[in-house]
Amino acid sequence: MSDNDPSMAATLAAATCALLGAGNASAADDEGDRWSIDSALLYYGEADNRVQDISAAISATRDFDDERKLTLSLTVDTLTGASPSGAIALDRPQTFTSPSGNKTYVTAAGKIPLDDTFLDTRYAATASWTQPLARLYTFSAGLGFSTEYDYTHLGANFSLARDFNKRNTTLFAGVAWSQDDIDPVGGAPIPMSQMLDAGDQSHKLGSDSKTVLDLLVGITQVLGRNTVLRVNYSFSDASGYLNDPYKIVSVVDPLSGDTLLRSPPSGAGPTGVYLYESRPDSRLKHSVYAELKHSLGRPVLHVAYRFMTDDWGIDSHTADARLRWPIGAAYFVEPQLRYYTQNEADFYRSSLRADEPVPQYASADFRLGSFDAVTAGVKFGGTTSRGGEWSARLEYYMQSGDVPSDQIIGNQARREQYPDLNAVIVQFGYKFRM
Amino acid sequence: MVTEQSLEIMYSGDHWVARFTAMASPCEVLIETREECIARRAAAIASQCAWSIERKFSRYRDDNIVHRINTASGAPVVVDEETAKLLDFSDALTHMSGSRFDITSGVLRRAWTFDGSDRIPSQETIDEILRYVGWHKVRWERPRLRMRPGMEIDFGGIGKEYAVDAAARLIEIELGRISCVVNLGGDIAVRHPRADGAAWRVGVEAAAAPGSPIRTIGLRQGGVATSGDSRRFLLANGRRYSHILDARTGWPVPDAPRSVTVLADTCTQAGALSTLAILQGANARQFLIGQRVKFWIQ
Repeated sequence: MSDNDPSMAATLAAATCALLGAGNASAADDEGDRWSIDSALLYYGEADNRVQDISAAISATRDFDDERKLTLSLTVDTLTGASPSGAIALDRPQTFTSPSGNKTYVTAAGKIPLDDTFLDTRYAATASWTQPLARLYTFSAGLGFSTEYDYTHLGANFSLARDFNKRNTTLFAGVAWSQDDIDPVGGAPIPMSQMLDAGDQSHKLGSDSKTVLDLLVGITQVLGRNTVLRVNYSFSDASGYLNDPYKIVSVVDPLSGDTLLRSPPSGAGPTGVYLYESRPDSRLKHSVYAELKHSLGRPVLHVAYRFMTDDWGIDSHTADARLRWPIGAAYFVEPQLRYYTQNEADFYRSSLRADEPVPQYASADFRLGSFDAVTAGVKFGGTTSRGGEWSARLEYYMQSGDVPSDQIIGNQARREQYPDLNAVIVQFGYKFRM
Repeated sequence: MVTEQSLEIMYSGDHWVARFTAMASPCEVLIETREECIARRAAAIASQCAWSIERKFSRYRDDNIVHRINTASGAPVVVDEETAKLLDFSDALTHMSGSRFDITSGVLRRAWTFDGSDRIPSQETIDEILRYVGWHKVRWERPRLRMRPGMEIDFGGIGKEYAVDAAARLIEIELGRISCVVNLGGDIAVRHPRADGAAWRVGVEAAAAPGSPIRTIGLRQGGVATSGDSRRFLLANGRRYSHILDARTGWPVPDAPRSVTVLADTCTQAGALSTLAILQGANARQFLIGQRVKFWIQ
């Protein structure tokens, strides 16, 4: 008998009818419902009125036959608030020229200076296409674009995955490339140039750009019926303009550690000596990531670790654990704990001594400093009877860092050097098909 | 091995969910109604149906028709109408599968232990057991069944799907055109679309490993069944042997997919097609394309 006998369906239907009796309607699935929509609203708020971010994202995935898939996404986020400029605190008020270069702002005595002119709206869009290439290969390609008032990003990525070993093993490799154009408010300052009076733009250039190439190789291995391990290595090569155009470094008296004072000739300008930061124009990063998912009956434990090292001298470690715990059939609760630690970049300098030559590279950006962070959170979610999936996530982020003791000079020791950062993250998500 | 446990029932948004255990599997009935008494009735019908089919056809019991047939030692056994229908259906599947499927092949389990180990039986052992395998060696003259001594039948390959459809049908007979999902351990039937035309979303375990997504199918009506079980296998000589045995050879089907899920008009048809597909080994996909049903292969 032929394996593909077209009459088999009829034979089977007749045999089934004899077994069950007549009156079975035809099968109908939701073949028409091929769009899957994923929406999310996120709030990120730093304590003490620092950065607040509200982000809305929507992505739509269309499934075609043969596991081909198109995904489109749109994100809008609005950032407001203030972030540390890099200048150190002082026992007297400090005046700075704003990034636009046409006005000034004042930081109170004893406070770490924050640049509070920070306001931005970013729009991002991505599109990606995934399809099987041969029996065991899956290919994916994507494009991304984002724009905000001082920054434009254009990116492209490709990846290929192959299954082995009865699909117990998947190897994948990917490449991503991006070109970012930076057009800072008031122009990009010349690295290590001094902050000038309002209205004087002689130390600023126009726009600049950077390119980033990322390579990723990895393996996903099923380790038995309850465990999946994923390990990957990624390499990233960024080159071009890698400075933050709004970050500065205070120049200080080598004995007192206080910022050198300055009298603005025009009356409206910085009251101290501050240099715009300077970072190398290339950065190579290597990172290794391992993730283990293990099911303990219905609950699923997820643990992950990442190590990153770069040629700026930063090494970082991230450890992450989540436990997804089902409650009944329709709900789950998922507590999460994440720990992050990094050491400072080789050129991290909380301040520059007035008696030393101006270094080629220096940055007082706290994000390049030495710090630890703990994130503790919980996610709660469920499914509606229509198949919609909703979730709510609440996280608390606690970061504390320090300035290397050999960089603390004179009076700096009795002032706050590296401000703690606490933030709340709230996210709501809803996913449905239509 | 009947585990008649208590029936749990709860309201979830706009339908009732009932849970119980039957055939060593978690079972679920979803009923589109607000009335608790209707939901309780539907849940009771489905669970009683599943438990009674399990009692009647389990090969682990010594008080049922399967036990009488398997211990008849060559004597003819007269069977009831329901058993006769199941035997007729098995007979049809054996023919459709070119004798790869066979309800007498269960005795091969004495040789094969699918526990992830590398124990492969000798060909002599398999040949010895194959003397007791083969539907063509059975005399089935409705309602009389006569088997050689030592032969056994096992409805394990079709009983669960049959129970799903039988339960769905009994609910329909008693409660009318009510939209419900009967899910016995992942084999599913949906009877009648929901009032607003929306699909029920049913999860089908596509792979045994966590992290791999459970495939969700939006089902308005029809049956879904999955065959193959990536948790039960042998590993030997670098090869993975599925637990699905080809009754003609007594060996596992080579290069069979880990699991095949089929959507058909009834759960019984879906189960038959997924089983027949696995028995086709590497040709499973081509076989299913020929059947013009919706399917998912792992």
